[in-house]
Amino acid sequence: MALAACGSPGESGSATPADAGGVTLVDADGREVHLARPAERLVSLVPSATLTLAALGASRALVARTDHDTASWTVQLPSVGGGLQPSLEAIVAARPDLVIRFSGPQDTRTPAGLDRLGIPHVGIRPDRISDVLESIRLLGRATGRDAAADSLVARIQFGLDSVRASASGRPPVRVAYVLGGDPPWVAGPGTYIDELLRLAGGENVFADLGTLYAAVSVEEFLARRIDLLITPDAGRIDRRVLGAARVSEVGDALELPGPGVTEAAWTLARLLRPEGAP
Amino acid sequence: MSRVGLGLVLVAALAASVVLGVRFGSVDLTTGEVLAALAGGGEDWQRRIVLELRLPRMLLGALVGGGLALAGATFQALLRNPLAEPYILGISGGASVGAVLVIALGIAGAASWMLPLAALAGALLAITLVFGVATASRRSLDVRVLLLAGVVVAAFFSACVAFILSVSEARIVQGAVLWIMGSLAGAGWRSVTVTAAYTLPAAALLLALARPLNLMSIGEETAHYLGTDVEKVKRMALALAALITAAGVAVAGVIGFVGLVVPHAIRLMVGSDHRALLPLSFLGGATFLVLSDIVAQVVLAPTQVPVGVITAFVGVPLFLVLLRRSLIP
Repeated sequence: MALAACGSPGESGSATPADAGGVTLVDADGREVHLARPAERLVSLVPSATLTLAALGASRALVARTDHDTASWTVQLPSVGGGLQPSLEAIVAARPDLVIRFSGPQDTRTPAGLDRLGIPHVGIRPDRISDVLESIRLLGRATGRDAAADSLVARIQFGLDSVRASASGRPPVRVAYVLGGDPPWVAGPGTYIDELLRLAGGENVFADLGTLYAAVSVEEFLARRIDLLITPDAGRIDRRVLGAARVSEVGDALELPGPGVTEAAWTLARLLRPEGAP
Repeated sequence: MSRVGLGLVLVAALAASVVLGVRFGSVDLTTGEVLAALAGGGEDWQRRIVLELRLPRMLLGALVGGGLALAGATFQALLRNPLAEPYILGISGGASVGAVLVIALGIAGAASWMLPLAALAGALLAITLVFGVATASRRSLDVRVLLLAGVVVAAFFSACVAFILSVSEARIVQGAVLWIMGSLAGAGWRSVTVTAAYTLPAAALLLALARPLNLMSIGEETAHYLGTDVEKVKRMALALAALITAAGVAVAGVIGFVGLVVPHAIRLMVGSDHRALLPLSFLGGATFLVLSDIVAQVVLAPTQVPVGVITAFVGVPLFLVLLRRSLIP
């Protein structure tokens, strides 16, 4: 257990207490969090982190859920409200020894409140494939399941390599991912979806956008020579956009970066090449 | 109802609602557990919920709600406009730009005071801009110009917010919208202390201006002939009301409706003598926001409904009833 702490980039050395069983975590915001022992009572505000905990065999350590966690094994747990600005009262009542929250600026009240209450918390950024792997390692270390985390990471990396290999050597399929909306929102460069698209042998026709997600005009769709249009729900987008290419509906399969990333990549690979995918 | 009678009722109601708010929250605790926690006993997590979450949250609600209603009553008197409310000088717009900017730049999480400070700075910028325009003639402050400048500045700031959000990613937008909708969830003892240090002295000064405000709500000219230093009173009262609003916005975001409806409701009950209207508005606003926040926490517990939604849902029907009754001879 003590070895777990050595894996973190704690250059100063003296800053980390050397008590047996202690765990030092560095979260997605670069904050260093020290736990006296691996966490045994967890509250996860991040749905993908909840899935990761289950994949690591730590689902029993979960003591509360959010309104967005609807998997059957979570529903009997008390809810703390939404993932952003949850009820601090409900978190305190669950008596967690670690809270997993969204990193970044979208909810500053929650970390400030947890600090005030002296409840340890780590920020998770569920944005990119590398973030998914990073979160798995972080949660593995936090719960004392480093070995399970390492093997899960290795499995995912192997799976993604296989997807990549299956697509290599073939001409890329020109594809756009439309989230919905009017004007339609598309996934641009730097998004998880863009990563998956490229990995599975697609070429994101909106890779030149300046932002992660952006609203684009219907004209752009017609002008960009798209082979395949992927969307969670074709009913939510402008009919004129649908005329621009072949359309595949995938539900939210590609929008939750988490331990299911390999399956998402395979789903996408099959959509891109319905004729020749394994 | 007599003023003293209403005053006593409101003091009792405020005390009762704070007690209610400490008793009920999104987690079910028994009365015994709450009492034990207040006495310093019970389990550690129960003490934290009662002493570190519920108590400061209710006190912050009372300060912010009271401040907003007091500021609203002051603006309505000075601008002689029944539609006036605390945010009318673009304060909410300015505060929103400040808050959304630090959220979008990713620096809001750097320290717990970053967001309130940015919101306060934005609010003060709006006030400075609006006052700067309205006092351009240097001799007198024209309230019509003030009103117009406020509306225009607010429109400009809301365009700024829309622009920042349109170039931000979804999570930033979500966070910003959550902040703008207003909430007392961030309450802690420090925010209570800071808000009290701002609000209470400013409120006391405003109450001291009640008599000149009475004269000014008749008309500035009349007030002048009756010996009021119209310019001084006007500037001071506006600045104080704006400061109170800015402090409230900084800690709780934009909570609508309290500052518009509470002063009107009180006016319908006791008339428009500001010596009664101002303190009663403070008490009424405090009670109203505390009660609304309890409802916001409990109604869909543990999901928290934005408190501004509750102030409107509860406030509008209540106000319409009062308004209708006031028309019946």
